[in-house]
Amino acid sequence: MSVANLKEIQPEPGHDTDLQPILPLPPSEKPIGLWHMAFKKFMSNPFAVSGLVVVLFFVIVAVFARVIAPYDPAAIDLLNANLPAGSPNHLFGTDELGRDILTRLIYSSQVSLLVGFSVALISVVIGTIIGSVSGYFGGFVDTFFMRIVDVMNSIPTLFLNILVLSIFGSKFSYMILIMGFTSWMGSARLVRGTFLQLREMQYVEAARAIGVSSWSIIGRHLLRNSTAPIIVNATLMVGGAILAESGLSYLGLGVQLPDTSWGLMLSNAQQFMLVDPMQALYPGLCIFLVVLAVNFIGDGIRDAFDPRKKVKIPRRRLQQWRESFLKSKI
Amino acid sequence: MTEFLIRRVLQSLLVLFLISIVTFGLIHAAPGGPTQIFLSPGLSQEAGRIQAHNLGLDQPVYIQYVRWLGGMLQGDLGQTFKNNLPVSEILWPTVQNTVILMGVAWLFAMLIAIPWGIYNSTSEYGISDQTASMISYIGFAMPVFWFGIMLQELISIKWDLLPLSDMYTMGKEGDMGDLFMHLVLPVSVLTLGFLASYVKYSRTSMLEVLDQDYIRTARAKGMKERRVVFRHALRNAMIPIITILGLDLPILVAGAAITESVFNWPGMGRLFIEMAVAREYSVLMAITVITAVIVVVGNLIADILYAIVDPRVQIGRKGGVSS
Repeated sequence: MSVANLKEIQPEPGHDTDLQPILPLPPSEKPIGLWHMAFKKFMSNPFAVSGLVVVLFFVIVAVFARVIAPYDPAAIDLLNANLPAGSPNHLFGTDELGRDILTRLIYSSQVSLLVGFSVALISVVIGTIIGSVSGYFGGFVDTFFMRIVDVMNSIPTLFLNILVLSIFGSKFSYMILIMGFTSWMGSARLVRGTFLQLREMQYVEAARAIGVSSWSIIGRHLLRNSTAPIIVNATLMVGGAILAESGLSYLGLGVQLPDTSWGLMLSNAQQFMLVDPMQALYPGLCIFLVVLAVNFIGDGIRDAFDPRKKVKIPRRRLQQWRESFLKSKI
Repeated sequence: MTEFLIRRVLQSLLVLFLISIVTFGLIHAAPGGPTQIFLSPGLSQEAGRIQAHNLGLDQPVYIQYVRWLGGMLQGDLGQTFKNNLPVSEILWPTVQNTVILMGVAWLFAMLIAIPWGIYNSTSEYGISDQTASMISYIGFAMPVFWFGIMLQELISIKWDLLPLSDMYTMGKEGDMGDLFMHLVLPVSVLTLGFLASYVKYSRTSMLEVLDQDYIRTARAKGMKERRVVFRHALRNAMIPIITILGLDLPILVAGAAITESVFNWPGMGRLFIEMAVAREYSVLMAITVITAVIVVVGNLIADILYAIVDPRVQIGRKGGVSS
C-alpha cells in the first residue's frame, strides 16, 4: 500500500480524531534483490563472518606458503630433531627428522584447501547434471540414475575411496578425481528433489507452452532457481572433503611422503606420541578450525537464503527510518 | 502392502546384483588385473602361472565373475592370493569385533541422543539445546582420529587410566572386564560422532510434529503436556528417525574403519584398510559385498517399518525410497 492510499483513509465520524494514519516505512533508495538481501543477512551473522575470516586466513596462508614458511617442508635436519614447541628458530618445534612443524602445517593447508574445493566442485557439477536430468525428465532416465545412486550409496564412501585408491595408486590428482566421483550422490538427490518441486510450477508450464526447449528450461529456469541449495550443499561438501582427505592421508592412502598433509602429520605424530605429545595437537586443530569455519559459512548461506529467517535491520537504517518518521509527523 | 513388499525386495535384489558387478568390474579393471598384481614380487613366473590357474585367474572375466558370484551365494568367500587362506576365516572374527564396538557405541548414542533431542524440542534455544547444537558443530568438524589420538594422549598416557589400544590386554583374551576397559575410549570417540547428528535429527523431527494441528487440538482439549509429547508427538516423530537409522547404516559399518585403526581394534574396517594396502582383492571384494548386503537389507527393513507405521507411504511413493 502506498503513502497516497493511506492518506485517503479518513477516520469515520464519531471516531477518535486524534488517530493518525500509520505511515509505511519510507522506501530505501534501491530495491533490495534476493542476492543483495542474502548478502546482508550473511554479513549480519557473526558465525558466518568469523567462518569466512578463518577460511580467508587459511587461503592466504596457502597461497603465500612459499613466502611465509620459514623452512623447506621436506628439509631434514637431524641435529635439531624433536625440538619442543617454542624453541628458538622453530616456533612449533620439529618432528623426529628435524623438519619444521610450522612449515609443514603451512604447506599442508595448500593440500587441504585444494582437495576441499576441487572435490566439492567436481561432485557438485556431476551431481547437478545427473540430478537435473533425472529430476526434469523423470521416467526411465530417472529410474536408471537413481539405481546408480542406490548402488553407490550402498557401498560406504570410505571403502569405495580406499578400494579405488588401492587399485589405481595414490596419486594426488587421482585422489581428487576419485573423491569427487564417489561423493556426488548427495547433490544429485538434492537437485533432483528441488527440480521435482520446481517443474510443477506455473512459469515452467508457461515456458513449455511457448515452446522453450527442455535444456533451456533446465538451464534458465530450474537451475537458476535451485542455485541457493546447490551453493549451500557445495559449501558443506568442502568441509566433508577436507575431513575425508585427512582421514585417507592418516590411513596412509592419501597424500604420500615427501608431500605433506595434516592427516599425514597426525599419523606421524601418533607414532611419536610418547616422545612429543604436543605434535598431534596442531594438525588436528587446523583441520578442525577449517572444517568448522566452512560449516559455519555453509549454514550462514543457508540461513541467508531462507525466507523464514528474519532479516536483522541494521541500527543505522532503523535510525534513519525513525528520523524520517518523526519529520513526517511534524 | 504385498505389492509394495515385492517391489522393494526386487529393487533391493537388483541393487545388490549391480553392486556385485561394480565391485568385481572395478577390481578387474585394475591395470594388469589381479593376476599381474600378485605375480610381481617373490614368485617365479612358472609358480605364478600355476597359482593363477589354481585360483581360476586364467579364465575369461565373465566366467570368473559367475564363479565368484556362485561362491558368494553359497557362502564361499574365496581365498587370499598370498597364503591361500580362506577369506571367511580371516573375515568373520573381525565382523564380530566390529559389531561389538559399533553396537555398543550406537546403542549408547541412541540412549543419550533421542531423549536429549526430545527434551530440546520442548525447550527450544534453551541452555541444553544450545549445548547440543555446539556439540553437533564440534562433532561434524572434528576429525575422529584426532579426537581419538588426543584421548589416548591424555587418558592413556598422561593419566594412565585406560588401555591405549587393542581389544584385550595380552593374555587376557575373553575377559569381559578387560574388554570393557578397552571399549571406553573408542566408544566415546564414536559416540560423539553419532550424537552430533542424532540429537539434531530427533529434535528437528519432534519440532516438526509439535507444529502440527493435531498437537494443538490435543493441547486445546486440555491434555497434559507430558502426554501430548509422549503419546501424540513422539510416536510420529519416530518415523523419520527410523529412516535415518537405515540411511546411516553405511556410516555405521564403515565409520568404524578409522576409529578401529586409531585404537588398533581388530575389526572389519581395519582389516579392509590392511588388505587394501596388501592388495588382497578377494578380501576387499568380500567385505564390500557383505557391507552392501547389510546396508541394502537395513534400508529395506527401515522402508518396510516405515510403510507399516505410516500407511501413506505405500500409496504415495511409487518408486520406493528414492522417489
